[in-house]
Amino acid sequence: MVSATKKWIFLKASSVILVPLMMWFVINLAAIYDKSFDEVLAFFTTQPSKFLISLLMIVAFFYSALSISEIFEDYVENQEIKNVANKLLYLFVIIVPSLTIFVIFKLSL
Amino acid sequence: MNNKKNPLSPHIQIYSWHISSLISISHRITGVINIIALTFISIWISSMLFGATSYELTKSILNSFIGKFIIIGIIWSFNFQILSEIRHLFWDLGYGFELKISKITGLMVIFGSFILTVLIYLGGR
Repeated sequence: MVSATKKWIFLKASSVILVPLMMWFVINLAAIYDKSFDEVLAFFTTQPSKFLISLLMIVAFFYSALSISEIFEDYVENQEIKNVANKLLYLFVIIVPSLTIFVIFKLSL
Repeated sequence: MNNKKNPLSPHIQIYSWHISSLISISHRITGVINIIALTFISIWISSMLFGATSYELTKSILNSFIGKFIIIGIIWSFNFQILSEIRHLFWDLGYGFELKISKITGLMVIFGSFILTVLIYLGGR
């Protein structure tokens, strides 16, 4: 399979997962953002929100890596700068969700 | 041929905006905003590691006018991305390419994102 086709399939599959996840997240964000420490902690550390927020982080950052690399492809002319930007992007999208999931599990202990 | 004196096209000052181009650029901008927002949400979650006393500062920021503005902005940006993504998925299935339908769905994305933001924010109160 051509790599561009593979990338398109990954992009579409992740967007199908993201649509309901993002809707679930914004509804809950509006409900909890101004609540007390205990209420916010309970939201992030109990199921199913613990699983869903972890899934949202993984899929959203994966989707962003694919789509932001497309923006680099369209607007960054210099190949070396593009390569560095892509590597930094991939590093960022691995570190942030991994750390968040680690924190969520640490908070649940 | 590389002539740097050639005018850029489309020129930003005379470019006529269409619904499709507006949605396209907004889709990209909200995509970048959403990832920045998720990074801040990650910092928000991580701030809870420092305990309830330290969380009071985060809570006061989120309860301020700027905090509420940012939360409403994030909800709008996510809603815009959701509706625009649904529009893209319908295109991928082969529906909604006609000019009239495309304009209608574009307007639905713009107005729908604002309506959903108001409903979700008020629903959460």
